[in-house]
Amino acid sequence: MAELRLEKVTKIFDHKIYGAKEITFQAKDKEFIVLVGPSGCGKTTTLRLIAGLEQLTSGNIFIDNECIDKLSPGERNVAMVFQNYALYPHMNVYDNMAFALKMRGYDSDEIEKRVKNAADILGLTSFLKRKPAKLSGGQRQRVALGRAIVREPRLFLFDEPLSNLDATLRVQMRTELARIHKRLSATIIYVTHDQVEAMTLGQKIIVLKDGEVQQIADPLTLYNNPDNKFVAGFIGSPPMNFIRGKIENNNGEAIFVHPPLKLKLKKRFLSSAGKEVELGIRPDDFSEDGLEIEIIVDLIQPMGNEKYIYGHCEGITLCARIPPDLYPEPEESFKLKVPQDKIYLFDAQTEKRL
Amino acid sequence: MVEREEAVLKKSGVIFVLFFSLIPVFWMLIISLSQSPDFLVNGEMVLTLKNYFDIIARHNLHFLDFLKNSIIVAGISSLFSTLIAALAGYAVSRIRFRGRMVFMILVLTLSMFPQICIIGYLYKFMSRLGWINSYPGLILPYIAWSLPLGLWIMLSYFSQIPRELDEAAMVDGANRFQILIRVILPVALPGFLSTILLLFIFSFNEFLFALMLTTDFHSQTVPVGIALFQGLHGELPWGYIMSASTISCLPVIIIALLFQRQIIQGLTRGAVK
Repeated sequence: MAELRLEKVTKIFDHKIYGAKEITFQAKDKEFIVLVGPSGCGKTTTLRLIAGLEQLTSGNIFIDNECIDKLSPGERNVAMVFQNYALYPHMNVYDNMAFALKMRGYDSDEIEKRVKNAADILGLTSFLKRKPAKLSGGQRQRVALGRAIVREPRLFLFDEPLSNLDATLRVQMRTELARIHKRLSATIIYVTHDQVEAMTLGQKIIVLKDGEVQQIADPLTLYNNPDNKFVAGFIGSPPMNFIRGKIENNNGEAIFVHPPLKLKLKKRFLSSAGKEVELGIRPDDFSEDGLEIEIIVDLIQPMGNEKYIYGHCEGITLCARIPPDLYPEPEESFKLKVPQDKIYLFDAQTEKRL
Repeated sequence: MVEREEAVLKKSGVIFVLFFSLIPVFWMLIISLSQSPDFLVNGEMVLTLKNYFDIIARHNLHFLDFLKNSIIVAGISSLFSTLIAALAGYAVSRIRFRGRMVFMILVLTLSMFPQICIIGYLYKFMSRLGWINSYPGLILPYIAWSLPLGLWIMLSYFSQIPRELDEAAMVDGANRFQILIRVILPVALPGFLSTILLLFIFSFNEFLFALMLTTDFHSQTVPVGIALFQGLHGELPWGYIMSASTISCLPVIIIALLFQRQIIQGLTRGAVK
């Protein structure tokens, strides 16, 4: 297994569009790294650059301190799992998994040993003679995984591997992936647009937007301490509520003002008095006591163990999680409370966290 | 009711088309099997296999030579043409280069020029090479002539194969040639086979080049040979012509029957996912 290092990796398409902009990060040995972001953020481009399927415009990529920029995809000894699996339709499961080993000139005993072993890990043993067309989506996904596993590569690259599966299967495969990662103790770079997948799988998450790294952190840090408004809004479901307003100094107290709404802030925000800001509150952070925001309820979504309510107040729409034993009615007013330390503030211009 | 009328209309349409296209074939069969081609004039219709025995057994008619020449020439040229078309089609389908479509349309345009345009020059060219009345003298022009069609067919098959397959094979360590041979061609096999078959029929039917570039039974192909059949006293031996034509249909029909599954699969594959 291996360490991966990207240094100022940049890809420009057609001389003008940035696919990736000075992306720098490091994946330690056996680490599960997730690249996450909305579509078009450059996550797949970054993965393809690592695989060698796209040429770098500038920057360097290292595996175990060896620069791999000039190597062909085959020479990099990385395995990739594609979004649509890309199984060879004319080969059966066994041959699909054996293909890469044959290309590398392994002898048939070794190939058989490795394929049987991978099939065993993935529960594919009884399907080895089947063609991909005769497999279900989940089984195809497993074969694609198996094709990567048998290679014992330096690095696994996953390009949205679960996005073609239905919801139930996705959850199941997610758990399985985590298990396989443990068992193989492999370095994995995983691309997804699904922040739940990112949070549950990743040991380290890299949030991308417009080809640029927004933040690199472990899941909890990303959730609790987002660096900017984009990360705060992207991570967490339902997404964070944002209220545009201004910080004012009211006799030595920092106050957030979105007339007529006023919220008392922590002392440290005094230094930002006069700034236009975006105030962020996660729907999950509303609780029994704290600062009060009164809303008119629009919609209630009972989820069983909890309830989400959507409401509006002074031109803002807010979403909040409330305990299931509260019964607000639509069109009625409802008081939401949020603890002072659960309030996030972002500079309205730079979108950086204050 | 409407459904029944529709069915009736469909059936009568099918019958009409079948009738329209099979009448000449039927006529060919009848004449090839009758003792005298003038049976309508004198009313004597005698069925016999004599024509068939004659053209096969009588060496001075050279029909079997023509058939052999045709199969060799059409076989080799369709195989090579398809191979080249596969290589070119793969490159064009996978490499994005400026003027890709212009290139393909140019190829198509070239194939639309009437053969007569180049026949004079081609004759000179082959005479210089000393290839008049030889297999290479026919095979090379046939390859060039059938290549555009082959290229377009192969391109349409390759374009349906997702690029991810190439990329997966690349990451698996295969080079471009291995990808073509071990992944892309096997996946496009129905297309490959139907291209060979189409180009075989194309070359098998060709007349003008064969007429100009060959002189005798050593390399004349079936269409030319049959056209130049002559009776003892200069009359047209219709019985021989028709029975020779009937036999000439066989190779194509046999191939089509053998590869029926692949061809139909080839024609419909990718249309419905």
